[in-house]
Amino acid sequence: MNSKIIRKLGFPTLVFALALLPAFGVIGKGFTSHVLILILLNAAMAQAWNLIGGYGGQVSFGHSVFFGIGAYGAAYAVCVGGNAPWGGALAGIIIAAVVSVLVSYPCFKLKGHYFAIATFAIVEIFNRLFMVWDWIGGALGLDYPILKDSWKNFTWASDKTGYYYGAVVIFALVFAIIKYLEKARFGYYLRAVREGQETAESLGVNSTRMKLAAMALSAAVAALCGAFFAQYNYRVDPPTVMSLDMSMKFVLVAILGGIGTFWGPLLGALVLIPLQEYTRAYLAKLGSGVDLIIFGLIIILMMEFQPGGIMGILSAVRKKAIAARSQKPEGAR
Amino acid sequence: MKRTLLAVVAIVLLIAGAGAQDKVIKIGTLFPLTGSVATAGQRCQAAVETIVDIINGIYPDLDLPIAKKAGLLNGYKIELIKADHQGKPDVAKSEAERLYEQEGVFAVIGSYNSSASKPASAVAERLQKIFMCGASSSAALTERGLQYFFRLAPTDRIENVEFAHWIEELNKVKAAGIKTAAVIYENTEFGKHAADEAKVVSAKMGVKIVADVPFTPGATNLNSEIQKLKAARPDALFAAVLGADYSLMIRTMKQSAWKPKMAINYCGGYQDPKIAEQMGKDGWGFMGSAGYTPEFGSRFMKAVAPVEKYYKAKVGVPFDTEKVAQVLRTTTFDSPLSMGGKVQFGPDGQNIKAASVISQLQNGSYVTVYPYEFKDGDPIFPMPNW
Repeated sequence: MNSKIIRKLGFPTLVFALALLPAFGVIGKGFTSHVLILILLNAAMAQAWNLIGGYGGQVSFGHSVFFGIGAYGAAYAVCVGGNAPWGGALAGIIIAAVVSVLVSYPCFKLKGHYFAIATFAIVEIFNRLFMVWDWIGGALGLDYPILKDSWKNFTWASDKTGYYYGAVVIFALVFAIIKYLEKARFGYYLRAVREGQETAESLGVNSTRMKLAAMALSAAVAALCGAFFAQYNYRVDPPTVMSLDMSMKFVLVAILGGIGTFWGPLLGALVLIPLQEYTRAYLAKLGSGVDLIIFGLIIILMMEFQPGGIMGILSAVRKKAIAARSQKPEGAR
Repeated sequence: MKRTLLAVVAIVLLIAGAGAQDKVIKIGTLFPLTGSVATAGQRCQAAVETIVDIINGIYPDLDLPIAKKAGLLNGYKIELIKADHQGKPDVAKSEAERLYEQEGVFAVIGSYNSSASKPASAVAERLQKIFMCGASSSAALTERGLQYFFRLAPTDRIENVEFAHWIEELNKVKAAGIKTAAVIYENTEFGKHAADEAKVVSAKMGVKIVADVPFTPGATNLNSEIQKLKAARPDALFAAVLGADYSLMIRTMKQSAWKPKMAINYCGGYQDPKIAEQMGKDGWGFMGSAGYTPEFGSRFMKAVAPVEKYYKAKVGVPFDTEKVAQVLRTTTFDSPLSMGGKVQFGPDGQNIKAASVISQLQNGSYVTVYPYEFKDGDPIFPMPNW
């Protein structure tokens, strides 16, 4: 009963609390705000990946392509077009969804590891393509001019409150979509395809259509995150937004948190992002790469002892607690 | 009662004492201390640390005004806050923010990679803080109309103009007959920019570009690239190739038994003594520009000395960004340690006195061949065969 209430109200309460945070003066200038924004953004990115990678069971390393298209959409509108980023971001989202369907359709004919390898290649293809495509800046990338702080431009010089609200909106939107899909017919079909494509098809589920729809939605959301990323960093270039490095961020956060679970992406981001940011900020002084060594070590330990991610740890702890509770009365007797 | 009073006095004294001692300017450094160009970043860091030691300590044996006494402006010590951007623009941006806002640094020195300097300096501009740029060569950096961005190093454009003079000179003096050229460059911000500038300058000189060959940095094989160059038979080769790629390029050229009359490289692989050592005899005859040396940090800090004088005479409240920027914009600094001899920033923030020399690897050492006032040897032209 109790856990049911938490399951029902936990997410809206969290979003509400996040939205109220600036009222307490926590958000504004400074590093803490930066870390919070990155947590929310990365949680949203991982959740986007989780839709196809976790619920759909299609491990994609290609998400930086969609992320990059979104980032370029916003940046192109601002840097080349001289407009507000919104139209460009929307175009980027639509293009990303279309591209994802076009490239995934042949790739979905591959299974398991072969699909993953194909997505690796797709990232490389797009990376090279964007590197030599002068219309969008090529290897030079696109740099934002200095604009006035406003919601219209979606840039702020120092105060991060605007970015924070933006990140909360993206986070809430993405998680709400997944929350809805978990209970929707589409979500069940998708999980059925993951568990056994042939079985699902024999029961009348069109597996290709399910996977393509999930991929398109996942790509659109990834592109939205990309547009935010470009606005936040004032710059896009292929090595940053459209590379295997960026794809890894999608996958790593989701896997660390626990794939195919609702809270996994958030938990993964909650652990990984502060770890990444604070180790760099405070340990980089010690010398070259100490931060990266510690960061890597924690990930290795995590994967070694609990491949189910943080959600795996939590459910193991809960199982133990339940076992202990059910044993207690016997002992008392 | 007496004890409380004593305690209060002690605390006040402590605070006052701390205030008197607390004459510290925090300066952030933002370099790629890890990642693919970590060696270069570590060297930049070391250079800045060296000069800060000289400023903070007393070095009577050095013939520098800043070495004779401890600190600046009546004993202000410099405290360096070190940050690592890993060669990533997004990290550079967030670390720049952290340095200015969290660590409270007065200025940031950085960031080696042009692609990292851009967003990091955009942060500085938005916060109205000074950003001092050492070795980022993309000319675009000073074309953004920034108010608080200052660059000491020469840009690709400045180097290219010099290359053009040099080729004209060779054609005149050595009857070099350089009519065609090829460009090979890594497909990055740096390489692309250098190559674009090379094309502009070549067109001006009437030198025809016969091959345009980009490659992916960190390549394991440059055979097809070198074959393309060889087939085009250029007289001269412009290369924007960094580090290990540079020695790979030269090895591949040797394997293909091809050498143009001259090969000249932008900042990067060529002037790294380690690479020169690795290449051994194979590298002899190759030329390149040298404007970025580990000493650039000392050149930068040197420029601060007149600022100190200015402040002593004029300003009560130290370290007002607006005023320091004003001084940087309007003063010509004597800089005996830099090749230009002086440092003066144009309205775009570029050091207009920035100079670099062209050197050639001869018998294992870098011989300066141009401009003539700095030369310590004659060029070997055309390059000796393998």
